[in-house]
Amino acid sequence: MTAVQTPAEERGDTGRRGPWLRLGSWRDRLTSAGFVLVAGLLAAVVLIQLEGYAPLPTIQAGLEYALGDGTSIARTLAWGLPLYVAAIGVAIAFRSGMFNIGAEGQVYGGAMGAALAGAYIGPLFAPTHLAVVVLASALVGGLIAAGLGWLRAVWGVDEVLSTLLSNYVIILFCTYLATGPLRDPTRQSGTTREVADTARFGEILPRTGLSAAVFLVVAICVLGWWLSERTVTGYRWRMTGESPAFASAVGIDVRRSRIASMAISGALCGVAGGLLVAASQGRFWTEIGSGIGWDAVLVALIGRARPVATVVWVTLYCVMRSAARGLEQVSTVPSELSLILISAIIIAAAARAGVFSQFAALQRRLATWKGR
Amino acid sequence: MDWLDAFLASGMRFTTPILLAGLGGLATAWTRDLNVGLEGIMIFGAFFGVVVGLFTGSSLAALAVVAVLGLLCGMIFGYLITVLRVNVFVAGIVLNVLGAGGTVYLLRSMYGVKGTLSDPGIPPLPKLHIPGVEDVPVLGGILSGHTVLTYLSWTLVLLLALAVRHTVVVRHLKAAGEHPAALATAGGNVTWMRVVAQAWCFALCGLAGLQLSLGQLTLFTEGMTSGLGFVALAAVIFCRGRVGLLAVMSVGFGLSSAASVQINEDVMPPQFAQMIPYIVALIGLIVLARTSREGATRIATPVMES
Repeated sequence: MTAVQTPAEERGDTGRRGPWLRLGSWRDRLTSAGFVLVAGLLAAVVLIQLEGYAPLPTIQAGLEYALGDGTSIARTLAWGLPLYVAAIGVAIAFRSGMFNIGAEGQVYGGAMGAALAGAYIGPLFAPTHLAVVVLASALVGGLIAAGLGWLRAVWGVDEVLSTLLSNYVIILFCTYLATGPLRDPTRQSGTTREVADTARFGEILPRTGLSAAVFLVVAICVLGWWLSERTVTGYRWRMTGESPAFASAVGIDVRRSRIASMAISGALCGVAGGLLVAASQGRFWTEIGSGIGWDAVLVALIGRARPVATVVWVTLYCVMRSAARGLEQVSTVPSELSLILISAIIIAAAARAGVFSQFAALQRRLATWKGR
Repeated sequence: MDWLDAFLASGMRFTTPILLAGLGGLATAWTRDLNVGLEGIMIFGAFFGVVVGLFTGSSLAALAVVAVLGLLCGMIFGYLITVLRVNVFVAGIVLNVLGAGGTVYLLRSMYGVKGTLSDPGIPPLPKLHIPGVEDVPVLGGILSGHTVLTYLSWTLVLLLALAVRHTVVVRHLKAAGEHPAALATAGGNVTWMRVVAQAWCFALCGLAGLQLSLGQLTLFTEGMTSGLGFVALAAVIFCRGRVGLLAVMSVGFGLSSAASVQINEDVMPPQFAQMIPYIVALIGLIVLARTSREGATRIATPVMES
């Protein structure tokens, strides 16, 4: 087993780049969260001011829309359900050193699998049909990711680039299916047939879009955390991620860890796509994913691939996203604001350590200058 | 032979953005800060090219402004990854998402447009028609009738190939990646070299985007780069720091893009045709991993410490 050397390792100066997010004690974590949130808020204030609105009342109106009452909270949550699953999936792969940037494609693949299982199998007894739909989406997503994971583990094909490129291939293939052989002939645009009623999660709160899928999502989040942080398998995966050479030296099958973690990661991303179909849209259409896979990658990055942190950040991101949509209704600020904010937050979080050490250096310089 | 002429000419057109972005990425590969955000920079370049073009009415002004803006943003990016120690992979991924979201945001808040911005006031990049060569059958399509950026990109290939052999700057760039301690001992400035590489990368990727919006279509569409930046990234990884090989790879990807446009819908569905460049890149990646001596080279690694 020869470990693939990273550029930093080759240079023998792993310290030069530094960890991109190192967090120790609770106090550190709180300072960090505060720094990051202030950075995000600052970015929001500046952007809204540039559009010519009073920032704070506008932000408040947006938050009102996202969290104002039970209905809005349920709506915010309903939008975020697939993102929770996808982000946990991406985080699991990241944890084992597999950078699954192909979440977007796996979401599309999963959505296509769910739409087909929902429309062409059944109608069945509802729980059975839902299980079939979710399994179909997991299978499609998992197979795609496992294939790419196999290429990385056995042939050494860099998964960062291969997953990136796979996005385009998969999305184009799904577009072909939806506009060609599997197109719903009664509809104009590229959509597949509507799924059977038994293949849809029932709404648990009327007129909010919040469906029974929320239970599945909670179960997946808990299971994902447990698998990654509390099981032997998860431990092997984390070892593989932190140091493949060490992992193989202590007898962990690195190849198997890599393939399995990618497969689980892809399966979860696929389920996220399945939820898009079974819990909201009811059919596959060519723009169903609309960036959820990319959001999942960003959130997993900022959550440092820790399941709990990832869930917290997904929640924050959902609120931001929903607030941005509320903003769009009361002002002309486009809802893509949330994407810009999350980007600013990630960069701020990653730069935090650097900013602090620069600041400390400046203080030292000032102190010596005063002392003279 | 008309189809061959059309095919080669469009192959040259498709090669240009890939080659420009690839040449940009090459410098960052030398300093081992491979920028995976080529796609995001390109879409910003395409957007600001249209904005400046609409504002000034001159495509050359747009070209100059995009290049300068690229240099400035590249320096900021370089500062982030060197002094503030932001992981370059993380920053690149963020850049891609920011490019996709940010241009939509700007498009809507500046012009109130969703989707496509097309306006008769957008100036196309001038095309050079070389007299004489123009009418020669196959050669005419390859050599004549392209935008200034196409000629610029090939000039840069030549200049860079010479620079690799004869200049100190390239040697310093490579040293900043391979052996920073040695460069520092020899009196070079590692941080500065890494910043310069990013600035160069941003400027060229911006121009690559400009070629798409002002050189080929004279409009701006959301997501118009559609993965070309990743294809360029693949080219950078395949060439392993060699300029000539990068040019060959870019031409290969350019021709496969051209093929995907030329292939008739009767032969295969358009979506399959559009997949060709990505599949070529994927296959290339697999071949590279199978044939290279040291196995696969990791393109970027975020350090995930607890």
